[in-house]
Amino acid sequence: MELPTGPGHRSSPMRPQSEDTVFDSLQFGEDIQHLISVPPENASSFTALLELPPNQAVELLHSPDSTLRTRTVIETHHQKPYLQPQFNAANLAFPTNSGLIERAARLSVFAGENLNNISNNSLETSSGPSNSSANLEKVVKSEPAEAESDLNPSQPLVSDPTTVENGAQNQRPVKRKEREKKGKSSTKKSKSSGNDNSEDAEKLPYVHVRARRGQATDSHSLAERARREKINARMKLLQELVPGCNKISGTALVLDEIINHVQSLQRQVEFLSMRLAAVNPRIDFNLDSTLAAEGGSLMDSNFPSMVMPLTWPEVQVNGNRQNYQQQWHFDAVNQPVWGREEDSYNFITPENSLLSYDSSANSDHGRLEDKGLEIFDVMVKGNNGIQAEIEHYGCVVDLLRSAGRVEEGFEFYQKDAF
Amino acid sequence: MNPDHHSSLNPSSSLKSRFTKTFLRSLIKINKQRPFPYCPREIFQRCHRVKTAADKSLARAAGSRRVWSRAMLCKIRNRSLRRGCQQRPSVRRIIIGYQTTKKGYCLQKKMSDDQEVGTDQASKLRKLVPGGEAMDLCSLLDEAAHYIKCLNTQVQVMRRIADIHSS
Repeated sequence: MELPTGPGHRSSPMRPQSEDTVFDSLQFGEDIQHLISVPPENASSFTALLELPPNQAVELLHSPDSTLRTRTVIETHHQKPYLQPQFNAANLAFPTNSGLIERAARLSVFAGENLNNISNNSLETSSGPSNSSANLEKVVKSEPAEAESDLNPSQPLVSDPTTVENGAQNQRPVKRKEREKKGKSSTKKSKSSGNDNSEDAEKLPYVHVRARRGQATDSHSLAERARREKINARMKLLQELVPGCNKISGTALVLDEIINHVQSLQRQVEFLSMRLAAVNPRIDFNLDSTLAAEGGSLMDSNFPSMVMPLTWPEVQVNGNRQNYQQQWHFDAVNQPVWGREEDSYNFITPENSLLSYDSSANSDHGRLEDKGLEIFDVMVKGNNGIQAEIEHYGCVVDLLRSAGRVEEGFEFYQKDAF
Repeated sequence: MNPDHHSSLNPSSSLKSRFTKTFLRSLIKINKQRPFPYCPREIFQRCHRVKTAADKSLARAAGSRRVWSRAMLCKIRNRSLRRGCQQRPSVRRIIIGYQTTKKGYCLQKKMSDDQEVGTDQASKLRKLVPGGEAMDLCSLLDEAAHYIKCLNTQVQVMRRIADIHSS
């Protein structure tokens, strides 16, 4: 194949941890491009070369392909501008994080050795460059996939660049039934070495796991570690939510804080509900004035607060209204008409509710039903004239009826409702 | 239901606005239905109703995609069922039975895992977060985070309402 020489002779410039990552990655990118075009034809040869159990190899083959191809399309758009020119040449979905690039590049060279180990099923970490090239394509392909998948899950895999500096011999992707890791994985920075791509287990069929030196690498402890990573990530989120938790270290103490916080919040809710229960009898609870007063602070824009406060603050909402009155209010709210006319919807809700509450006002009718009529007029003839529905008429009629002006209501109904 | 209808049609409606709307409506209903409470017992009853209304509207606003909101709604429904018809033990038994089997299974499975993070704290958290008994630690933390967020909103809104009406 055309590849062996390329990565092979590039191994030397890769070894010194150069800050010349861009240049390296550029070269590497071109190779990647070749690689991507290559895979379909070489499927059979890969499995033979790898001497892996066929299902594993096929899995490894297929997933990088699919992920690579899909992500190639997607990620070409996400390239950062300063890296744009270089990567356009490769036309490649490659992570723009230089650290990841470096790491991937390094992995490509040395992962060959890893594959060699896997295929031989031995734990010796013989660096066999001759074999590495043959296996390289496969690993290189899986590397971009891994690197790309690193970008997608919200996992802190970017801490890898810190380990990248430790020396080329450190990095080793360990495939699902890992192996190796004894000799060269002297990851001093243990925390980043805990970079399981086990989160990728959710996205990719195989798992890249980096086992620390001396750590067991069987599937149980791997799963354990994956779980612990997940739990730690969630704990971090919780720490951010709970104030004052950032300085505490140690899971137990953080959990204590969280529990205290939840308890205090629940107690506050109870206390506030007691307050609301005690406060309310003084007023007839006033929906509209509440909404008006809060305006933007509570409501996030759904209510036209500009319309309400001026006209309707003194409307009283007394009890003893039949339930169907309330139903009208809710039905108005549910009207699908609002899908078509946003404006009218915004007005229907408070208007309707207002009208229904108007008609329920039992005390101090002197001003109120006139006010209600006024509002009705405003609604129908105003700037955003709303087509009065049967509910509106009903509300007005009820209002007049409860005010004792029954004949007026009847006339109103006859006059306007037809 | 109203909040879901709103949120599906109007994607800009936030948790806060949904909760506020529902809560205010239920408060109005409470005020209308019950007479003016004078004695402490009535106030206490009313307080309980307000609290239930607040929890219910919060759970509705949070959506049914969260375990804790579903569990909270279930609890409220069961409580009202229990209070409504005392002679329906069958319903209660079925519900409780379902929950205990789920709980038993999950706890057996996860008992070993709890050791690592501290058993009492995890169990305390489970008691606090509604529906927490039947979850593994990972999703428990997840749910707890969302629950805390929603509780914050609830407290803010209720405090605001109380302030407006007491001033």
